[in-house]
Amino acid sequence: MLEGLLNLLPAELAARIRSLPANVLDRLEEIRVRRDRPLEVCHAGGFAFVTADGALSADPADGWRPDAELCARLLERITDHSLYAMEEELRRGYVTVPGGHRIGLAGRTVLEGGAVRGLRDIGAFNIRIARDVRGAARRLLPHIADRAGRSLLSTLIVAPPQQGKTTLLRDIIRAVSYGDWPMPEARGWPGRKVGVVDERSEIAACVRGVPVFDVGPRTDVLDACPKAEGMMMLLRSMSPELLAADEIGRPEDADAIREAAHAGVPVIATAHARDLEDARGRSAIRRLIDEGVFAAVVELRRIGAEVLFRVRPAPAAREPTRQAGGAGAC
Amino acid sequence: MLKLAGAILVLLSGTLIGFRQAARYAERTAQIRQMLHVLQRLETEIGFGHTPLPDALERAAAGAAEPVAAIFRRTAARLRAGGAAVREALRAAVDESWSRTAMREPERTAIVRLGDALGISDREDQIRHLRLASAQLAAEEAGARDEQARYGKMWRSLGFMAALLVVILML
Repeated sequence: MLEGLLNLLPAELAARIRSLPANVLDRLEEIRVRRDRPLEVCHAGGFAFVTADGALSADPADGWRPDAELCARLLERITDHSLYAMEEELRRGYVTVPGGHRIGLAGRTVLEGGAVRGLRDIGAFNIRIARDVRGAARRLLPHIADRAGRSLLSTLIVAPPQQGKTTLLRDIIRAVSYGDWPMPEARGWPGRKVGVVDERSEIAACVRGVPVFDVGPRTDVLDACPKAEGMMMLLRSMSPELLAADEIGRPEDADAIREAAHAGVPVIATAHARDLEDARGRSAIRRLIDEGVFAAVVELRRIGAEVLFRVRPAPAAREPTRQAGGAGAC
Repeated sequence: MLKLAGAILVLLSGTLIGFRQAARYAERTAQIRQMLHVLQRLETEIGFGHTPLPDALERAAAGAAEPVAAIFRRTAARLRAGGAAVREALRAAVDESWSRTAMREPERTAIVRLGDALGISDREDQIRHLRLASAQLAAEEAGARDEQARYGKMWRSLGFMAALLVVILML
């Protein structure tokens, strides 16, 4: 997976990443390229600068500094030589490359009537490495299972960035789609049709409409589609038994999730927030929680390489929620 | 008898050389025209289709005849192989294929200059650059057509006349 990404990077940059120690490469999370400033890598929670001969250093002064020419080449390669086709991506500030890796961009914004129209003079890249961890959701699934419906409860997964939300969501989708339920009482539960709205192409990492990650045999992916519209489209067209979406938060997302919940389709969604209380600070999510659309809220916290989760019954769930909870490692 | 055969051979080859030269003028006009069509298709792919550049180049090349199509096909292949920037890929493809075309330096300059801008800016800018290159090529095409009318005919008769002169001198 990493090799595919490295082939996409300019040779000088890729060579320096390749020469990093193997234990760092295995746990590499972000490669941060900033024009004329030291190259940085983040791995398993820590960070370090990369020197010109591909060693790690804590001192930024030792770091190798990518120049303007390298940044221009990097941008050309990650946009597939087609910056003109990336207007929407530039407006949102990131590009997703084959393999599901997301590359965040920063530079000078171009405004039109006060709204951001795009980016130019791009001088900072955050290359986030997508990881596919099979079995990441095994410990969580029993806590969010809907035993009566032989499916999952509507669940909101909240965590700050970089805690493994998308990885967990992908594994939930895969498990439900395969019917790979980890609980003993769930033997004989069928796999479910899963509809995924993959606005950022991160969950399934589709290349020309075909998922790169294994998201299960019964999963339909609407790639690069706005979440709210996508969920309605899937509801109407693909008759999903479970809907999944990444990083909700806009009012229209909330409307679509409400619609799905009333149609009897459980929704698994993720959102950026520290915990349940923090999530309630965002008005669209607060309304969803208060209306009892979500039956459970999962908080993720990562300590080192281990992901801990806590399941909390949503405060105003429509149906009585069991005393779920406890912490577990997944 | 032998003299007659020799004279016929000289006449024949002289005429052929003349026709060949005349054909080069016609080819240049035709190839510039092909190039213009490719740029127009590229403009559609980029402006309306939002097609990624390697695909756009291939599709644009698919409608053109050789050897013009080869330039764009090879550029796309280089981009797909990875490593090269558009500028380098197009320049290399032009270097490889140019000798097989009948086009001259001004056309080459226009295409190579287009390569400096292709793919690295927003849609309006891309369209502007494509139109600029098209305008330059169109001007060259007008010149080429002029030359074709003037020198094409001349070469055709010149070849035969020169051969005839050689034959008369030999007799």
